[in-house]
Amino acid sequence: MIWERFLCKGAVLAALTALLLVFSTGQAVAAEATYVGEQACAGCHVTENKNFGHTLHAKVFRQNPKNEAEKQVCEACHGPGSNHAANPTDKSALISFTKEWGTPVEKQTEQCLSCHKGGQRLHWPGSIHATNKLSCSDCHNPMSRFSANGLLKKASITETCQSCHKQQEAEFKRRSHMPVPEGKMTCTDCHNPHGSATQRLLKADSVNQLCYTCHAEKRGPFLWEHAPVREKCTNCHAQHGSNHDKLLVSARPYLCSQCHSPAVGHPGTFYNASGTAANAQIGGAAGQRVIGRSCQNCHSMIHGSNHPAGARFQR
Amino acid sequence: MNIRPRRKNLACCISLACIAMAMQPAHADSAYGVDAILGNAFNTGYAGGQRDPDATPSKHTPTGQLYGVPYARDEAVAGATSGWVEIGILSSGADEKAALFRKYKDPQSGLYLNSFGMTTESDNARFLDITGGGVGNDDQFYSLSVGRYNDWKVKAFYSETPHVFTSTYRNLWSGTGTANLTLNPPLVAGPVAPATAATTDIAIGNAALATPYSELSLIRKKGGIRADMNLQDNWKVFASYSNEKRDGARPFGMVSAGGGGTGGVEIPESIDYDTHDFLAGIQYSDALNSATLQAAASLFRNNVGTMTVGNPMFLNAANGIVAAGGVGPFPRAVFDLYPDNDYYNLKGEYARELPDMMKGRFTGVVSLSQSKQNDNLIPSTSYAGATVNAIAGGAWDTVASLSQPTANLKVDINMADFGLSLKPVDDLDVKGKIRYYETQTNSNYQACNPLTGQFGRLTNDGSGAAMFNALQTNGTAMTAGQAAALNAFMAANGCNEAALASYLVANGLVPAAGNVNIRSIPYAYKQMNYTLGADYQLGNSNSINANYERETLERQHRERAETWEDKIKLGYVNRGLENGTLRLSFENDRLRGTPYISDPYDPFYSASLGSPNTGNLAMTSWIHVNSLHRKFDLADRDQNILNGRFNYMVRPDLDAGVSFQLKTAKYPDAVFGLDGRNKQEQNSLNFDLTWQPSAQMTVSGYYAYQDGKSEQNGIQQNACVVGTTYNFWSDGSISTVPQTAAQLAAGVTLVSTTTVTSANFLATCGTASATSPLYATSRAWNVAQKNQSDTLGLGFKFDFSNMTVLDVNYTYSSNRTKISYAYNPYALGILTSGAPTAAQLLTLGLIGGGFSDLVLTQNVVDASVLVPFTKQSSVRVLGRFEAGRIRDWHYDGVAANPTPGTNQQTYLDSGPQHYRTYVLGVMYQYKM
Repeated sequence: MIWERFLCKGAVLAALTALLLVFSTGQAVAAEATYVGEQACAGCHVTENKNFGHTLHAKVFRQNPKNEAEKQVCEACHGPGSNHAANPTDKSALISFTKEWGTPVEKQTEQCLSCHKGGQRLHWPGSIHATNKLSCSDCHNPMSRFSANGLLKKASITETCQSCHKQQEAEFKRRSHMPVPEGKMTCTDCHNPHGSATQRLLKADSVNQLCYTCHAEKRGPFLWEHAPVREKCTNCHAQHGSNHDKLLVSARPYLCSQCHSPAVGHPGTFYNASGTAANAQIGGAAGQRVIGRSCQNCHSMIHGSNHPAGARFQR
Repeated sequence: MNIRPRRKNLACCISLACIAMAMQPAHADSAYGVDAILGNAFNTGYAGGQRDPDATPSKHTPTGQLYGVPYARDEAVAGATSGWVEIGILSSGADEKAALFRKYKDPQSGLYLNSFGMTTESDNARFLDITGGGVGNDDQFYSLSVGRYNDWKVKAFYSETPHVFTSTYRNLWSGTGTANLTLNPPLVAGPVAPATAATTDIAIGNAALATPYSELSLIRKKGGIRADMNLQDNWKVFASYSNEKRDGARPFGMVSAGGGGTGGVEIPESIDYDTHDFLAGIQYSDALNSATLQAAASLFRNNVGTMTVGNPMFLNAANGIVAAGGVGPFPRAVFDLYPDNDYYNLKGEYARELPDMMKGRFTGVVSLSQSKQNDNLIPSTSYAGATVNAIAGGAWDTVASLSQPTANLKVDINMADFGLSLKPVDDLDVKGKIRYYETQTNSNYQACNPLTGQFGRLTNDGSGAAMFNALQTNGTAMTAGQAAALNAFMAANGCNEAALASYLVANGLVPAAGNVNIRSIPYAYKQMNYTLGADYQLGNSNSINANYERETLERQHRERAETWEDKIKLGYVNRGLENGTLRLSFENDRLRGTPYISDPYDPFYSASLGSPNTGNLAMTSWIHVNSLHRKFDLADRDQNILNGRFNYMVRPDLDAGVSFQLKTAKYPDAVFGLDGRNKQEQNSLNFDLTWQPSAQMTVSGYYAYQDGKSEQNGIQQNACVVGTTYNFWSDGSISTVPQTAAQLAAGVTLVSTTTVTSANFLATCGTASATSPLYATSRAWNVAQKNQSDTLGLGFKFDFSNMTVLDVNYTYSSNRTKISYAYNPYALGILTSGAPTAAQLLTLGLIGGGFSDLVLTQNVVDASVLVPFTKQSSVRVLGRFEAGRIRDWHYDGVAANPTPGTNQQTYLDSGPQHYRTYVLGVMYQYKM
């Protein structure tokens, strides 16, 4: 094909020019690369081109580019390709996004952020993922359509995150858990993996403000407040999953007695196995703080009460 | 109760959204808000179909994980339309036993439209995208997107999420889900004599046993619309609105009289919530600046703000409320469920590159929020005629008896965060950050009846009371004249606490108890975070980082006025390994604070109205808590966290990963509460493996292990009566009588004695010690909870040469919590000192050394075979087989005996069950 021959000639010319420059200065300085156009790229990268064509990047770059960079299509991300065309094995001649190629992560990120600055990436620099030298392409793969949205490397956000976060994947398998494995929720409902001004990459200003986005009824404020509830939901709840009911961090009634040991009343009582409903039938005494919902058998409005008589969260 | 959103706010937010949507063109930025995913259990990811057999050998992510094999696709053609539909027959064995399986999913037998989708594009980059699935089921979802690539996008969605709480609930009421729960026959609301508490206990139990199991669940139904537009190259706007409706019921508690001693009945809580969320914002970005300004509002409405429940319990007359008309005194209970609330937020974020200032970068965030509610309050009781302490005229069944008619509450939340990073030399990044977060509340509710001036509250519909009363300073009751004068003063006083306190002093009176709530506690806090960090490149691919953060929290009305935590974190990243990437980090956190005050709550209790009496009376109501007890969120804490992850490319087609986290926490000054002597631990170890030998085959697996240990100490209080001498015996027991013959025979000897006086009661009773009458250390108990979880996941995908795709996944998970305890049975009175009885020894045997383990074990197999028979048509056979075994001692014996005591305590949720279930389907796929 004419354009292939043209490309090869161009590549040879570019290589010769580069050699000339190197020898003329006596230093290994690469020629400044220039754009070669996506047809040149596709000439060699046939399969990649086929898969790329279905991605959002391809649609944006090819159908409605907004600036000169986007019009370059492949080279919008990989940089000008003339040096690469001249010497395809020179890994310094092109920006690539794989372990094998070895482009420094900082360079990769810089390339992505040249378009994707601001917005939800505003806090990327200095974020925990950036500090751990993750590249955008550790999570995204813009070269093929693996996911419905987001150009992720896996089919879903959850799968993408859990390719590293196995501990959390296991936590979602527990008795009580957020509906993540069931496809009704995903990691980015709570976390912004691109960085946040809040610890643990949370998408809200605090843990509670985050939880209230789905549990708005617990936002209150209430006439009678429960101090640890108002401060941080995770004082009592394990956010991903738990072996206890209601994502609690510990079994009731012991969770409650970690804080409550008043001189009047029952929270300091030594609750034990003799109080189960089964043991109550063979000599034990049925324990209202042991059976069923434990302390919440009575203190049902534990997140706060708006009843004038609700100081103990019973109405 | 305000059911409807305030029109003004609504109109404002809708206007913002409409303006944004009407403007031309944007770019989806899905990281705002929730609803980042639409799907269900059968559609958790992208329905890609066959893999591309021509795909080039897999590459690895920069970390070293394999990318998958791309899906096979035809040539992309602008202006094309594509789509798919998958429909078939589903057979589900998920019955009522499989509540755990159905918790968030709804597989139903019958004709099933599993998923569908269509994308159409025009030549000028306009597109329309429709997807959906689970049609007709409670986990269905739909989305419609329209827009122009790189210009604008509008997306509408609707999704339902079921949440099954239990399928073993014995519902004794009709009207579940509404504001009125009516008792079903034969039970009657407010039984009267000749019924007794004992006969009623039996009647409720029999009724429960005769009631078949039913399900308590809710469904979240959420729909919304979002628009994103690129105004120019640098500007973007977005706006969204969503509405979520939650309908259903969940298990709930209803206690009557003064507390649990009179039992309680597990009722269904009706849920009928509406939440409206609005968001609008604008973004700007250029080479140096990035900024976002957004406004959000969330309006929560509870359509069952007040719930009335028929009460089957036999209850005695109390507080002047008596049986009438053949109905017991308390035939109904009234709950004030979650109030409506409004939330507003305005947030601005800004970042600026500072290339001329050591390649610096500045970031700033300011966020202002307000959360408020002003629900109408309901009276303390719905029964007329209540009188407390023989004071008439309280009209406790009217709002006039309350100190305010509406809640009138708000919380202001302010946040500001400023950071600066610099690059003084090429290999070094340093950053500093300061963050301020504050909540402020106007909460100041007085528990006082302005009609009578009485402080305190009727509890549980008036069947109990916690009310201020006075005694003479010597602990004896007031004379009739003193009582009359006090009552007259209170009625004229108008809930003036200071005036009442002065009156008591002036008239030789003191509060009878110190623990009566007289006003709400306005909890609030201010948090500051100061961070300094550095990241240094050791070479091309190695870096170390260090971070120091100080977090201070100033809390109002908590045991500590201020806590501060120093967090030091060190990290190491090595990306230079030829075939691997190593990441390590270690964090040391040290939390300390101002002196721990065990009882900072006196101003909110009757203790603030006067001093304790000096008479011969129990003093426990004046002691908030054992002074050696530490609430874990405020206690000194030393914490270490070691994290590691190593990814390794074993071969070009095989990658492996190992990660771990070792976490320990210790509460060094906590004698009681979370154990200060032993570390709280959590250790995790995870392996994962992916083998992709060809474009046709992928094998993957992972194993995750986690164990944890948590110990806590409690102390069961004894007594603290002024003028009483407590004897402490060698077996740990405590008594107020001399050595018994049995003790003498058993060799139990007297160790020490303590006599409580009005002068020493706080010192001797307020702190745990070997000789504390109230908190004797012999009555301490220790509970250890040990968790262990094992999770194994295996996956196998194979594309046969005829394009048949086999996809099989297996997951095994085992989660176990072992609870053991240590205690002294003589000290706790479980065994009589020197002479344990046979019945006591039987109880001791039942107590044993701990509870049976909490266990959940699940085996899950998911299999799918996709057989294409034309280019467009395929048949997919899918199956999911799941078995779960669960044990939870909270529910041991409940199914057989829902009223296990004799005091009408009733448990209607029999708890989770073992299950073994399946879902089988034959689906037809058509692709266009």
